[in-house]
Amino acid sequence: MKGFSGRIGLVCALLVLIFTGFAWRLIHLQVLEHDQFNAIAAEKHEQRKVLPARRGRILDRNGEELAVNIPVRTVTADCTHIKDPVALAKVTAPFLGMPEQELAEKLSTKRPYVVIRKEVSEDKAQDMIRAMEKARLHGLSTEEDSFRSYPNKEMLCHVLGYVNGSGHGKDGIEKVFEANLAGHNGFRHIEHDRKGQEIVVYRGAEQLPDKGSDIRLTIDMGLQAIAEHEVDEAYKTNHPVSATAILADPNTGEILALASRPNYDPNKFNLAKADDMRNRAISDIYEPGSVFKIVVTSAAYNEGIVDDKTRIFCENGCFSYGGKTIKDHHGSGDLSIPEILMKSSNIGAAKIALRMKDQMFYDYVRNFGFGTRTGIPLPGEVRGEVIPPHRWDMITKTRVAFGQSISVTPIQMVMAMSAIANGGRLLKPKLVLNVGEGSSGLPEAPVTEVVKQESANYIANALEKVVSNQGTAPLARVNGYRVAGKTGTAQKISPHGGYLAGRYIVSFAGFFPVNKPRILGIVIVDDAKLGETANYGGSVAGPVFSKIGEKAARYLDMDPEPGESASRVGSSTAAVSVR
Amino acid sequence: MSRNRRKTTNVIEVNFLARMIVLVFLLGLAGLFFVYLKNQQHAVGNQAREMEAELREAEAKNAALQAKISSWTSRGALQQRLDEGSIRLEAIRDTAIARVTPPIPAEADGVLRTASRDSDVRFGPGVPQRILKR
Repeated sequence: MKGFSGRIGLVCALLVLIFTGFAWRLIHLQVLEHDQFNAIAAEKHEQRKVLPARRGRILDRNGEELAVNIPVRTVTADCTHIKDPVALAKVTAPFLGMPEQELAEKLSTKRPYVVIRKEVSEDKAQDMIRAMEKARLHGLSTEEDSFRSYPNKEMLCHVLGYVNGSGHGKDGIEKVFEANLAGHNGFRHIEHDRKGQEIVVYRGAEQLPDKGSDIRLTIDMGLQAIAEHEVDEAYKTNHPVSATAILADPNTGEILALASRPNYDPNKFNLAKADDMRNRAISDIYEPGSVFKIVVTSAAYNEGIVDDKTRIFCENGCFSYGGKTIKDHHGSGDLSIPEILMKSSNIGAAKIALRMKDQMFYDYVRNFGFGTRTGIPLPGEVRGEVIPPHRWDMITKTRVAFGQSISVTPIQMVMAMSAIANGGRLLKPKLVLNVGEGSSGLPEAPVTEVVKQESANYIANALEKVVSNQGTAPLARVNGYRVAGKTGTAQKISPHGGYLAGRYIVSFAGFFPVNKPRILGIVIVDDAKLGETANYGGSVAGPVFSKIGEKAARYLDMDPEPGESASRVGSSTAAVSVR
Repeated sequence: MSRNRRKTTNVIEVNFLARMIVLVFLLGLAGLFFVYLKNQQHAVGNQAREMEAELREAEAKNAALQAKISSWTSRGALQQRLDEGSIRLEAIRDTAIARVTPPIPAEADGVLRTASRDSDVRFGPGVPQRILKR
């Protein structure tokens, strides 16, 4: 009996020992090593899933889509869950457009996260998942992604910019408004089962994504298409180094169209040359030539140095000053201010400048916005170059008066001409109407009055004569409207100093209707291959402006001006001199 | 009945037993209910996941279709189709226009309206009218 009791005691002791061991192991796992094992389990089953924010669209002023997102999937593999890589590769390879063998090799590693293929279309990704479920295979999953698409391809490329492979804006609006467009990714802590599917009841903390704001530009794609077409024609016809056209509303400073050649397709930005990607409207500087005469004439009129009775002797086309000779294309005697602009007299402009004090003239140049960035929201804008008076030699002032010895950007010239068109107010160019739905728009930039309204109107009326048969740009007229404008023909600067013979940058900047301007435009053609006798602002850039203006007027349904007689309209084929 | 026999007899405490049975039953029921609820939770979770996936799928398809529409209706694409002859521009016949006020000819007031250069403006100069009527 005693032996039986002893055996029972032994068994009990053994059982106590065994269960004590189990209890100790349990305490070891659950308490002492809890954090370590919890981390291992979490690593295997828990995941911080990124909820990608949708990038904002870019729209034109009428809501036309200029940059959109196409949803795609990134296919990834958790190779630790793949039992038969060959079978999985056989099922999924057709959907991924990959050779089976290559895919099987990728799936044969034991890494928990392998990117198999990016930018798989939504349809194909879903079909692939269904095929995997049907074959009872797992190990591949898909992640939300998107790529940026520009439906209009090359059109407006220099304004829109592009987004690189990792989804960041790298140029244009895409770059400047990256913070607004990108939004903020959200996240969700999830646990998944051994098949990799989320266990919803164990869903942890989450933050929903903030989608990017849509950006509405001031660009009107109707006008942009017109400008693009005409610039393209000029580029193909004249074979210049570059051609640029900008259309703006002179009353608000809104940029309505901006076209430049050469250009590129932002959908294939990796194929573009650096030169094609340069936004010449803001990053190229050039000597404006005679267009700049609007500055010296308006400044002198504004200061009372000249008035409507002033006549300036233009030396019959040849004026020696400071040891150098200034020449006019056609020699003239006494000319009034409107005639100086109409005939584009360099001597007249130089003599007006000589009547002004150096500092005063310089201040006007700066007040018109030259030598300062306009602040257009695009990357790469340059300030141009204005030489300060203390560095002027004897002839600098006379040269600046007709647009030499000064470098400007096309956008600066547009804004300066806008000041003449709108009654003397220098505006900041506006390219973005609003950021995000319901936004009231960006804060208005301060406006500077550079000349009095009376002075601006006087010059505007004088500029109307430039497009008359006696002026330098009759081919810049727009049927049915009174147009004011100014031509510019400037020799190209040689990188080795001096000027390049026979190579010109020609331009025309103008606006219409003169009384109530609605459209202002500039056309710049750099080094057209036309020969010295045909390469003038009035003959190359003027007609482009005219075509753009006429189509723009039709597009905007502008009423023709009653005062514009039929005899003037369409008579531009008469023999005229153009500069 | 002898004294010894009475000693070996145990009284069944029916009340206590019944309470215990009910308690165990309730505990079991609660356990089952807990498991049932947990299963329901998982089932609803799976439904929610599937619904979310469907919703995401629909949204993605919608976005993809919108992008396609944008691409196909972009100015460049339409111009290309116009050039290829897949679509054409048809001039609006005068008889198809309802006018609030009668049109004023150019001779009347000397103003040549830009609309008078229809073919030039739309197709560039030199394009014959017959193209419009193709």
